[in-house]
Amino acid sequence: MKKLLIWKALARGVVLESVRRKDIWVVAILGLLTILSAGALGFFGFSGLELFAKDLGLTVLSIFSTVLAVLASSRMLPDEIKNRTLYPLLARPVSRFDFLFGKFLGAVAVSWISFSLLAAMVAIALFTFGVTFELILIQYAICKMMGLVLVCAFSLALSAYLTPAAATTLSLVLLFGSSMMLRGLTMAALGSPDLAWLYTSVSNLLPQVGLFDLGSRATNQNWTLVPAWVVLALAGYMAIYSTAMLTFSWAKFRRRAI
Amino acid sequence: MVPKKPKVPSQLSDYQIRMSFAINCQGLHVRYRSKSGKPVEAVSGLSFGVEKGEIVGFLGPNGAGKSSTLKVLMGFIEPYSGSAKVLESESGSIESRSRTGYLPEVAMYYPFLTPFETLTLYGELQGLKGKALRNETFELLERVGLKGSQKKQNRTLSKGMLQRVGIAQSLLGNPELLILDEVTSGLDPIGRRELRALLQEKNKQGTTLFFSSHELSEVSRICDRILIIDKGKLIAERNLKEVEASLSKYLLTYNGETSLFDLSMEFEEDESGNMRASFATKDALIEAIDRVKISGGKVTDIVAEQGSLEDYFLETLGVAA
Repeated sequence: MKKLLIWKALARGVVLESVRRKDIWVVAILGLLTILSAGALGFFGFSGLELFAKDLGLTVLSIFSTVLAVLASSRMLPDEIKNRTLYPLLARPVSRFDFLFGKFLGAVAVSWISFSLLAAMVAIALFTFGVTFELILIQYAICKMMGLVLVCAFSLALSAYLTPAAATTLSLVLLFGSSMMLRGLTMAALGSPDLAWLYTSVSNLLPQVGLFDLGSRATNQNWTLVPAWVVLALAGYMAIYSTAMLTFSWAKFRRRAI
Repeated sequence: MVPKKPKVPSQLSDYQIRMSFAINCQGLHVRYRSKSGKPVEAVSGLSFGVEKGEIVGFLGPNGAGKSSTLKVLMGFIEPYSGSAKVLESESGSIESRSRTGYLPEVAMYYPFLTPFETLTLYGELQGLKGKALRNETFELLERVGLKGSQKKQNRTLSKGMLQRVGIAQSLLGNPELLILDEVTSGLDPIGRRELRALLQEKNKQGTTLFFSSHELSEVSRICDRILIIDKGKLIAERNLKEVEASLSKYLLTYNGETSLFDLSMEFEEDESGNMRASFATKDALIEAIDRVKISGGKVTDIVAEQGSLEDYFLETLGVAA
């Protein structure tokens, strides 16, 4: 119970700072402008706009929410140390794991809030363009939010070992390039069976964020929902991978001189 | 059967001695790695104790190892060797931190939170909640003079006001021990006086104070005892009253032939032929005046001089004042 209060207090601090810093609003405005530009195409009478708008809206949502999640979590720990805001926090009866976990929850909350904000804008824009609501859009949002947990855990772990700039860059490269990298590693594993174990291990270590993106499925009309067991399996993968990443961060942070 | 008598210890055990200490450091060594990878020793075999209820000033020049020592006490860094106990627990343990208030040397507080939200955050981490936390937060903000600024964001506050936020947060939860690093930093004279009164009040309520400061006049006004460190080593540990007594002297200017050699530390003759003698105590001065009068001499001037803690500090460090 006491731990819950500690995590809640730390997470609320992260959210308040982020909302007042207006990071979320900048991304939301950029997202809105991008989506509105799609509307301009409709004005000139492009055919098949609905599908295009849906594709663009979901892509914008995916990219911006991932970028925000990376920025929120990869800068957090180094900024706490650099700005010395860490000292009064760790002077309290709070373990370093609780500190890390509370901050992680804060980053997840920030990324979920910004995703929800962007999603609301995308939804308004899509319905304005005449896109009909489908249940798969809800499933898309749930899976995307689970993927953001993974993104936060991964970026936080990198930030415990690297400089903020390196952690942010590497996170973005690995997250956006993961599908390409995974394809490359699979091809490499098929091409050289002797080293297949190595390629498979590397691909297992990388966050499989692509699994959580149902964007392509949701864009097409009348596609069926993903079975519930798949969503549950994704939730299990998210929990295991995030726990591993948090343990990895804590291993470095727990004895770090500050 | 004769019941066994309880065993009465003939002398205090190490454990009992430690029990009376709020802080107990033994043979503390702190090492950092420089950028070139070489180990740099910030603290070298530091041993000292701070008894419960004391006010102890922790002094030393820049880079002496004060902040490193305080960081060990708070568990921010681990000592290379030696031990540090805070309120009978290992330094940095959850137990010791739950009973200690800490003010960092250069603290920054979340710029987009208000002082009220900042204190609420730290209070919740301290285990406080609900109405009790709200009341304590309001009370502390009022006490440090931030009542009118409690809803402004920290980024709009001056350095002195942020230091007040820091002082208020260190007092949350009524800690038994206060560890304050450069406590007067950024405060104006009014703020310093208010802080002094606040700390003295806390001490009267039983809080132990251990703080570092470069403001030696503040230290001399509030401390019971001072510790001076240099290059990571303890070079002086003195009761402040003893230091003040050793620094006071009385100058007597007189004429006539009077023997005061057994009373005075030093003599000199001024340009008009008068003798000037200095005395370490008031009793010696009174005795000297009596002797001058009895021998038919005349006292022409009496001056009481009080040396400052700064003089003692510089002298101890071997620096010419």
